[in-house]
Order: sequence, then C-alpha cells, then structure tokens
Amino acid sequence: MGVVLRTERLVKRFERLTAVEDLDLEVREGEVFGFLGPNGAGKTTTLRLLCALIAPTSGTAEVAGFRLGAQDEQIRASVGILTEQPGLYERQSAEDNLLFFAALFGLSPKVARAQTERYLRLMGLWDRRTEAVATFSRGMKQKMAIARAAIHEPRIIFLDEPTTGLDPDAARTVREFIAQIRGEGRTVFLCTHNLDEADRLCDRIAFFRRSVIRIDTPAHLRAELYGHATEFRILPSPRPEHLVTVQAVDGVTGAQLENGSIVVSSADPFLVNPQVIRALVGAGAEVAYVTERKASLEDVYLRIVEGM
Amino acid sequence: MSTLARTADRGTIVRVVCVREWRESLGNRLLVGMTVFPPLVILATGIAAVATAALVPPSEKDVAALYAASPAVIGLDPKDAVQGIIATYFLILFMLIPTVVPLTIAIYSVIGEKSARTLEPLLATPVRVGELLLAKSLASAIPAVIVTWLAYGIYLSAVSMLGSAAAVRAVTAPRWILAIIVMVPLLTLLSVNLGILISTRVNDVRVAQQVGGLVVVPVVGIGILQVTGRVVLNNESFVGTAIFLLVCDVLVFLLARVAFQRENILSRWR
Repeated sequence: MGVVLRTERLVKRFERLTAVEDLDLEVREGEVFGFLGPNGAGKTTTLRLLCALIAPTSGTAEVAGFRLGAQDEQIRASVGILTEQPGLYERQSAEDNLLFFAALFGLSPKVARAQTERYLRLMGLWDRRTEAVATFSRGMKQKMAIARAAIHEPRIIFLDEPTTGLDPDAARTVREFIAQIRGEGRTVFLCTHNLDEADRLCDRIAFFRRSVIRIDTPAHLRAELYGHATEFRILPSPRPEHLVTVQAVDGVTGAQLENGSIVVSSADPFLVNPQVIRALVGAGAEVAYVTERKASLEDVYLRIVEGM
Repeated sequence: MSTLARTADRGTIVRVVCVREWRESLGNRLLVGMTVFPPLVILATGIAAVATAALVPPSEKDVAALYAASPAVIGLDPKDAVQGIIATYFLILFMLIPTVVPLTIAIYSVIGEKSARTLEPLLATPVRVGELLLAKSLASAIPAVIVTWLAYGIYLSAVSMLGSAAAVRAVTAPRWILAIIVMVPLLTLLSVNLGILISTRVNDVRVAQQVGGLVVVPVVGIGILQVTGRVVLNNESFVGTAIFLLVCDVLVFLLARVAFQRENILSRWR
C-alpha cells in the first residue's frame, strides 16, 4: 500500500496560538485512518491544512501526490471534506446541491447526474431528491454533506465527526458508506470522538493533541497497554483453589477473581489458554465459557490522551 | 485510485456559481422584492407623473417657478416644458436604481454564505477566489442592469405615447440612452463590488448594510453629477467617465479579491 498523505514537521500558528505543532504523519492508500483527540486539539485545523483550505506556517505536506502550498488547486480536486457543519444550500433541492458541486469539480453534466443518483441512492435520499434541503432532518443533511464530499470520487475523503448527532439508523448508513468507500480502495481520514466507531472502522488510529502522540492499529494499542486478557466463567463460582491452580500455569502473567469468573492475563493466549482450561478441569472446576476480554479503545484513549 | 474530478473550464465555474446565486435569490422573496419593487414603483410613478402633466396644465405659479429654476426652458410651451423636466427627473432615478438595489444582494452573497456555513465546502472545491467573487459580482449586477434596462424601455415607450415632444426629446436624448446602456452597468458593478468588498471583511449583515449605505454615496453622487450636467457628457467626457468607472470597477474588484482571505474567513468566523 502506497502512501497517499505525508506531512513533515507541519506547523500552524494563529498569532500566539499554536494549533498544530511538528506534525509528522503518513497515511496509506486505501486505509481508514482515525484521527482522535480532545476538543481543541487542532483536529479541524489539521483537516483544513490537509485540504489546502488554509496555509501552513511551516513544514511540508504531500496530499494525493500534490505538494501543499504549490499545488493547492489539485489537492482540492483530489480530496473531499465533510466539514463540522453540513453547510448545504437549504433553499435548493438535494439534487441541485450535488449537481452544483459536481460541476465545480469539473464533472460533465452526464457524469454529474450519474454520480448524484449513485450517492443519493447510497444515502437513501433518492426519493427526496427534489425536496429543498431545508426540510431535511439533521441526519439527512449530514448524509447529504457526505455525498457531496464524495461526489467526485476523491482519492482521500476527510470526515470531521461524521456521525455526531445522528440517530442509530443514520449512523449505521454512514458507517456502511465508510466501509464501502474503503472497499473501493479510497482512503478515509476520520476525525471522531466516537471511540467505538473508530475501533470498528479504522485500520490505524492516531491520538493527537497539537501533534501526533501515538499511531497504531486499535488491536495493538489495546494489547500493548492492557495485554491479552481472557475471562473463564466457572459454575457456580470459582473457588480460591481454582485461582491458585491458574496462577501456577506456565505463561500466566496475572489472574484474579471477578464476578464469578477468573480473568487471566498472558502474553500468548493461544498457547496458554488451553493449558488453563486443562488445569481448571483437572481441579474439578465447571468451565461454562471462555471469552476474550478486550480493553475498550476508550480506556486506551483516556490513558494516552487524557493521562498526559 | 483515480478521481473523477477534472479541472473545470473557468467560464463554466463562473456560470455555475452565478446560476446557483440566482436560484438562491429567486427562493428569497425579500431579495426578489427588493430587486423588482423599486424599479416598478419608480416606473409607475414616472409614467403617472408625465401622464398627469399632460392632462393637467400647470398653473401660472408653477410656470413661473419652473422658468426661474430652469431658464433653458423659457420660451417653450409650459406644458411641454413641465413634462420634459418631469421626464428627466425620473431618468435620474433610473440611474440610481442599479447603484442601490443590488447592494443588498451583493452583501448577502458573501455574508449569507458565511452565516449559513456554506462557504467552507465551497472553498474546498477547486474554485479560485477571483472566480467566486466574479460570479457573485455578476450574479448581483446582471439582474439589476436588466431590470433597469427593461424599466427604461417601458418608460421610453410610455413617455413616447403619453408625453409631449419635449418629454420625448428628453428621454430619447443620446446622452441618456448612452448613460443607461453604458453607465448603468458600470455604476452597478462599482456598487456591487463595493458591497462584496465590505462583506468579505464584515461578519454582520446589518453592519455591512450600514457601511454599504455610506460607501455607495459617492457612487450615487457620480450618477447624480452626470445626469444633472455637472459632468458634461459630450463624447470626450463620456468616454473619460466610462473609462474612469471601468478602472474603479476593476480596482475595487481586485481589492475585494485581496481582502477575501480564505484563512480569516474560515478560522475567525464564529
């Protein structure tokens, strides 16, 4: 997978405020890249920088193969952005909104119509295409704004909080859309506060506060910070000697009683868990089920970002 | 992975933005009303005034006041002279319409986008600032000019049917026809570009309109000076005035282009 976005020591200052500081980033073609950070961390400013909407104070960046600062127009043609606010022309119909932006991106009228139909259908808005956007709900407007960002099939699509304020049904449509464009090989740069969403959708995640604190896959982040934990449910409930038995198994790095279960930590659960099961059965324990216990991304986020 | 985006023809971008502006304006009854209502009122009042003057002869007192105010008409039939002067005064109003009417539309075209948060997605496209402002300028100016020309055409026809020879001579004078055809678009563009310049720097529609009301005064002044003969429109001065207005139009447009800072607009607009 090639690199579709690269920044080197990118800085953005607004008078005395440094919004982005020495940002070094590499995003790969075709991945969903999560960009997580607290409010005021500079995420939106970073998005605006990478979409050539504002100019960096210093540093360099290459977006979709074009140099930031020197080829801004080409960058804007190659990326799509969902801004914080949908920012639609409310008096105009859904169809007219998309056709307008398609024309600005240089799509021929025929292609523009085809793309408009494609994305309105994808977002479940085709039946309401002739209605003024002002009559749409917040979720429908958000879906319209996402369709607008994707209408020209950009190489990278930047989504700033795409599911904030949406009902579960609309949020699912948006998540399915993200999965679909990733399936088409496009890159998604996802700014979100929804950690569950980031966990489910993102190939890699960057924790960000003015600059990148940490980049990794969600699974690695969880494993590195919390290790691999497995829950063994014992019926009717585990006895103290069961815990001692488990602690004696080679490779077990930690074991504790928790709500009718024994939670076991190890470096390699594939190797250790079968031994734990054998030991428990040998000690007379009734093992009802074995579950992989995942640390939530929220735990990771709080430890990495808020713990700083 | 390829994108469907192509570098759009610059003319197409301007046309597309322009058409969108018109659609937006047509959906706003207040804006449509502000564009159409003043010319209609002036047109109706102008025709009624000329018709009344044709039907009701002026009193001796009126004639004395008229001769005192305009010695040039001494010797003309008083009824003719009154109609000629009335017809001319309304032409002055026709010259002022396009300097005032499109100002609100021009101001709203940028501030409206700021407040509706539509400017950021627009600026995220390959559209250039110059193209965007040109489209907004033309979108505000063209309807005002067309409405003024139409109103003038109707006024001309009505005065030709109802008015005296002096009134007809006044409204068909080459100076007036040229002024309407050439000066109206130039004055309109100047007013519109000033409106856009203001709206790029101001975030509140009310403040922009107040500033706009002040800034447009010199533009109105130019129109008044021209039509009252302070600026004598012989061929030479007509060309000179037209060139002066054209230069002003270009300069104000360029100034608006410089003043339109993507970054300030995006990061400081709250």
